[in-house]
Amino acid sequence: MDTYDTADNEEHPMLKALIKLGLFLLAQGVAVMLMAFVALLVSFGTSWSATIEQASLLQPGDAKSGSLLLKEDGATTEAIRLGTDIDVTVSGPTLRARVTQIFRNPTKDWVEATYVYPLATGGAVDTLKMVVGGRAIVGDIKERQQARVIYEEARRAGQKAALTEQERPNIFTNSVANIGPGETVLVQIEYQEPVHQSGNEYSLRLPLVVAPRYNPAPIVQSVDFRKDGSGWGAATSDPVPDRDRISPPVLDPARNAPVNPTSITVRLKAGFALGEVRSHHHNVKIESPDNMARVVTLADGAVPADRDFELTWKPAAEKAPSVGLFREHIGDADYLLAFVTPPSAEQTAQKPLPREVVFVIDNSGSMGGTSIVQAKASLAYALSRLQPTDRFNVIRFDDTMDLLFPTSVPADAAHVGEATSFVSALQARGGTEMVPAMRAALADKLGDTGMVRQVVFLTDGAIGNEQQLFEAIAAMRGRSRVFMVGIGSAPNTYLMTRAAELGRGAFTHIGSVEQVEERMRGLFAKLENPAVTGLTAKFSEAKADVTPAIIPDVYRDEPLVLAARLDKLAGSLEIKGRVGDRPWSVTLPLQNAAEGNGLSKLWAKRKIGDAEVARAMRELAPEEADKAILALALDHQIVTRLTSLVAVDKAPSRPEGAPLKLSELPINLPAGWDFEKVFGERPQIPAQSRERHADAGSSPAARRPAPAAPDAIRLPKTATSAELKMIAGLILLVLASTLFVFNRRRLLLTDAA
Amino acid sequence: MPRLLLPLTLALMGLILFGDGACIHAKAWLAQMLLERAFDRSVATGEVIKPWSWVDTWPVARIEVKRIGASAIVLEGTSGQALAFGPGHIPQTVDAGERGVAVYAAHRDTHFRFLQSVSVGDVIEITRRDGKHFRYRADYSAVVRDDASGIDPAAQGVELVLATCWPFDAVTPGPERYVLHATSIETRE
Repeated sequence: MDTYDTADNEEHPMLKALIKLGLFLLAQGVAVMLMAFVALLVSFGTSWSATIEQASLLQPGDAKSGSLLLKEDGATTEAIRLGTDIDVTVSGPTLRARVTQIFRNPTKDWVEATYVYPLATGGAVDTLKMVVGGRAIVGDIKERQQARVIYEEARRAGQKAALTEQERPNIFTNSVANIGPGETVLVQIEYQEPVHQSGNEYSLRLPLVVAPRYNPAPIVQSVDFRKDGSGWGAATSDPVPDRDRISPPVLDPARNAPVNPTSITVRLKAGFALGEVRSHHHNVKIESPDNMARVVTLADGAVPADRDFELTWKPAAEKAPSVGLFREHIGDADYLLAFVTPPSAEQTAQKPLPREVVFVIDNSGSMGGTSIVQAKASLAYALSRLQPTDRFNVIRFDDTMDLLFPTSVPADAAHVGEATSFVSALQARGGTEMVPAMRAALADKLGDTGMVRQVVFLTDGAIGNEQQLFEAIAAMRGRSRVFMVGIGSAPNTYLMTRAAELGRGAFTHIGSVEQVEERMRGLFAKLENPAVTGLTAKFSEAKADVTPAIIPDVYRDEPLVLAARLDKLAGSLEIKGRVGDRPWSVTLPLQNAAEGNGLSKLWAKRKIGDAEVARAMRELAPEEADKAILALALDHQIVTRLTSLVAVDKAPSRPEGAPLKLSELPINLPAGWDFEKVFGERPQIPAQSRERHADAGSSPAARRPAPAAPDAIRLPKTATSAELKMIAGLILLVLASTLFVFNRRRLLLTDAA
Repeated sequence: MPRLLLPLTLALMGLILFGDGACIHAKAWLAQMLLERAFDRSVATGEVIKPWSWVDTWPVARIEVKRIGASAIVLEGTSGQALAFGPGHIPQTVDAGERGVAVYAAHRDTHFRFLQSVSVGDVIEITRRDGKHFRYRADYSAVVRDDASGIDPAAQGVELVLATCWPFDAVTPGPERYVLHATSIETRE
């Protein structure tokens, strides 16, 4: 007993320390326990957080949950109404367009309206104005995300705000927040664009409607990424990541009156005596104040926005001037815009080289109606123009694809006859899987036979995955040249121009059957005649930043268009090249340049286009290209993929607590389109039609690949060991405390004894 | 002394175990608060915003069941790390609102504890990172094995599946899963 006591007494200081430690740990444990219980209470008795959310009505998710106000039966009285006025001033080589969108809210709610609309592909959008009750608020250019944040903040704060964003170089979205009941808000954007010239003819094109796009379905990746802990690559790769942003609701013309009335005025100051001025798809009134100017207005007032407006003009003289040189001084730099039409080679001097031509015709559902008629007529014309020495093939595609011949065949009467009957039997239906068709057309099976290889691609370009198409062309073009023929009332001009540029070819538009022969003849002149090649531009004195940096080949009747930024306006510009096999050069003294407007913006827009192409071609790293684009865009105040214009009215207008409804403005179906061919059966309501459109028809190609096993989805482990650990921990704690108490009592008892 | 050593060791082990378990809940709760902020910013900017720098996942959607007042921020992926912080979107499945089946999974004792009180007919609301809002109606629930989920990823409708472990009040992990199927009732696009 004694020994026991002494031993206990000796170890007393250490014991005290241990007890202290124990108490400390106990206190710690209690703290952790308290925290855990609070966590349990707060996170899973969620009634608190939910009440808070319901109280604040301006959660972004809530605010957007208002449904499209448009009624199904076509009564548009309940919806936001939109009217558009377009005022274009053409001054010589450039045009400036002012697009005013009038948003009127006849409803009793506060509304946020979004409208998806097209603009000319080469247009540099530089101005946004919002007019509210007689006051104009001018927008600022900001980085896209920043602009979005500013807009969202204003929207939440109840302020009127307008935001212009670029979805594609030819598709823009305007969002207008907090349009009060009965109010009208004007949103005005302005852009600068070069006038298009081809041969003797000048033209401008105002796209008025975004044609419904076919967006290939995303491919579900069946790779199991669970092992590496959900790496970045695990996300599904969608060929059209922004499909929602470019697919506004489309009205069935059979059930709804056309919407979005548009009025157009074009003030034409060509800079030379005018000959024929013609609108191709709209009835117009043309006034002539003098022989160099015209004022063109729509004959019947406003028209529904359902087709492109196309205006062409010719000089009174036999030949259009072959050279145009314009300058503008902005900041400390001079900007130069040069148009030079090289002389056409003498055709009789040399026999044209034999060609291999691959014709590709789009017979998807979007081509239904008049478009397929135009496409077939164009292709029939093209087939009739083939020479017996040429080789050719025909590919048709919708969401499936057929090659008429396995490889290109000689264009003899039998083969051409077979192709003609193949083409005339085509019907428009199904989705638009354009990339496989382009790949098949670019596959150069014959190899280098000394023939010129050309791809003629007839389509309306109604796809959302343009980028994939461009990548295919960039990767596979080889020695082939791609010529695009844009078909229909609202073709995707961006796709046409960029595809032709990447494919080192040319493009043309065919908007009606009457245009087929004239336009195809023009295209064939380009196909059959040698291009002007090896073009270079040199400034004798000025240091110049020229765009395009590498000058593309120029086809017959096309002008070479150069934009440059100069440090000083001195010396001359020398352009050299080869027409056929003969050298050609021209020298333009810069002093002779005429004053032009907005040339700096055009130069910047072209530079941005160059950077986008370099990005698609992988010549520039995406980050580098984006940096260059951003710098140019902010410098020159242009809306791009990376920059937006945003205008905010500082005075709040929507009272706090009043809910905001979102209204996505519907658009017309482009003229001549067949609603059922694009969206399927009519009983579909427009909101659902998008889903149908996404994989129109029940095509095998558009359908998602079925997973290998019926149950490819394995559910992850979803039980934590939290409960188990906590229970075990509690048991141990209880055990420990009983033991401790028990020991203590024995100790006391022995002490007492 | 040896008599005291045993209870103290036990107490220490107990505390560590309990603390560890409590930490899982604390983490689940705290992470959701941070995620809420990151998600709101994601919606506002349209950008992928990571809630904190070292995490390899990001918020993709918010699930709400207004009737029972439940809400949670869904993360991309179903790695252990992601699931510790919030429900995870199984990466092989489509995003909510797209055609096909979107599958979200979460722990039965944290973020998806509320699934046991969701009944057929309840409206499940999903707000996606891009601000798009979708409503689903709970159609039916089932208890399945984890390797035979019966979920057809190529389904033609717009569907949503919420999955968690079954049974809800069990403390040991098992192969059984509770899946709640829901179908889109209205897409406001």
